[in-house]
Amino acid sequence: MTEPQQITVLLQLAEELRKRGSWCGETHIQKASYFLQEMLAVPTNYDFILYKHGPFSFDLRDALALLRADGLLEIELRPYPYSPSLVVTEGAKRFRQRHPETLGRYAGQISLVADKLESKGVAELERLATALYVSLETGAGSSEQDRAQRLVELKPHVSLQQAQEAVETVKRFQEEAARQWNP
Amino acid sequence: MAKNFHEVRDPIHVFVRLDTDERKILDSKPFQRLRHIHQLAQSYLVYPGATHKRFEHSLGVMELARRVFETVTQPSALTDEVKKLIPELEHPDQLTYWRRVLKMAALCHDIGHLPFSHAAEKELLPEGWDHERLTIDIILGEEMQAIWNSVTPPLRSDDIVKLAVGPRKAKDLTFSNWEAILSEIIVGDSFGVDRMDYLLRDAYHAGVPYGRFDHYRLIDTLRILPSPNDENNRGEPVLGVEQGGLETAEALLLARYFMYTQVYFHPVRRIYDIHLKDFLKEWLPDGRFGTTTKEHLELTDAEVTTAIRTAAGDKDRPGHDPARRITNREHFRVLYRRHPKDVGVNPEAALAVYEAAVKEFGDTQVRFDQYRPRGAAAPDFPVRSSDDSVVSSLVMSEVLRMIPAATTEYVFVAPEIREAAKRWRDIHKNEIIKPEKENS
Repeated sequence: MTEPQQITVLLQLAEELRKRGSWCGETHIQKASYFLQEMLAVPTNYDFILYKHGPFSFDLRDALALLRADGLLEIELRPYPYSPSLVVTEGAKRFRQRHPETLGRYAGQISLVADKLESKGVAELERLATALYVSLETGAGSSEQDRAQRLVELKPHVSLQQAQEAVETVKRFQEEAARQWNP
Repeated sequence: MAKNFHEVRDPIHVFVRLDTDERKILDSKPFQRLRHIHQLAQSYLVYPGATHKRFEHSLGVMELARRVFETVTQPSALTDEVKKLIPELEHPDQLTYWRRVLKMAALCHDIGHLPFSHAAEKELLPEGWDHERLTIDIILGEEMQAIWNSVTPPLRSDDIVKLAVGPRKAKDLTFSNWEAILSEIIVGDSFGVDRMDYLLRDAYHAGVPYGRFDHYRLIDTLRILPSPNDENNRGEPVLGVEQGGLETAEALLLARYFMYTQVYFHPVRRIYDIHLKDFLKEWLPDGRFGTTTKEHLELTDAEVTTAIRTAAGDKDRPGHDPARRITNREHFRVLYRRHPKDVGVNPEAALAVYEAAVKEFGDTQVRFDQYRPRGAAAPDFPVRSSDDSVVSSLVMSEVLRMIPAATTEYVFVAPEIREAAKRWRDIHKNEIIKPEKENS
């Protein structure tokens, strides 16, 4: 995927999250991009590692900073105590319109991720993205219990019950994605 | 009786203190080499005072890392919640071990730098290599390993690697919460002491005021805090700040922005980096730096500077043209620089101007320079407010929300064609930057 195509996907993802009422801060875009790339096989080629709040990409963080510098994303304030949202600008809309092929090719995957993650807060997104990370790390043969325990081991501030719920949610999500996209 | 502690005078931190084990690093070949690597490449051609080296910067980073470690681990700074999430904080032997690892990692964080620091890194190393990978190789190498083993208790070299280069570059290693915080102390986006030291030191030597901020106050107010989230502050622990230190955190991040825009992005400094890269491509065997530790340690700014001076005076030597441009100050001049109005039309406007200029004047007459922002779009870290709640810095600080990302782009042309190129630019620019629709 070329850089303009990557940018198009990111901007579309941010737009779709916002349309569905997502808070759409940087963590939201990080985790939604992780699902898009690792579960739905959209080839954005960001290098994710397990770090802050679960899977995290420094490349993606830099890309978001560049989009802000280029005036394609801007910060929108929210009432105390919520941190700001990232909002796509008019310039971003024009940019996306120049990449209709990319938009068409990945619109379904982007909508699916936005549908699934629209209302999630930062803490839940961290658990879900880490559950997906664990599921990819441990492979299809691992039990849900093993995955939940591994999640707690990696993120000690998450309770076992929260981890179990996250693992179950991600499993359902993976099944639905496989039915629709067969990645 | 032999001294166990040593002091080095420093213009920024007054004294840097080392113990005898840390002194072994100081005396090692890789560290001594840093005496000959300029911190700001050839910036001294623009700012004559900017002749400082990676050597003193690395000492400064160690000194600041020690101060931050002592502040954030003092018992009065720790909440029960944080202690529960980071068990190491309640084990004095582990704290002693990690304090030592942190200081060693701080000393070593730049030992993989190539001649003239960042100036020539990307295109002059084989695919997949950068100075951090060279740093890792040296830390894991024989000479350093002997030092890690000689310390009581011995230091694990992987631990030094993690803290010296951080999770972005040590991708194969897994970081615990504690290790992530310690690496953040050195290379972190918000409060990394690497950045604190280079801003203060570069400003001091360049003779500009922009890099200054109250680092004493900032370090005193740093804390390990749970990340604020939507479930009552139960997020993972990271480096944050007491509310009383928020303004000086703002000052640090503003200092960074101003140093980039005023010093690091100075167009003449940028074009000298490009001429240096052009020279090295012609002068180095196969146009690339070697990647073995032996090859790396043999080459410093001193050898490259000598080669530039020699090549500048002999038109048959490889790299004569860029060497002449550096030595005789016949550097390329700015034809186009990034402009918000043009970026609004096409985010890749500068690249479009460059490509069109190459078509018009030929690739030997035109150079492109781009710096892309690194780091968060807006710096988000926890702040403990006066009512003891922990809130995102972006909630607490309007200044942080507004700091722009530092970025720049230039198109340079040879001085011989500058006037013709300017006339061409004025006629064609608007047509050149018009964006094209995606091809199917």
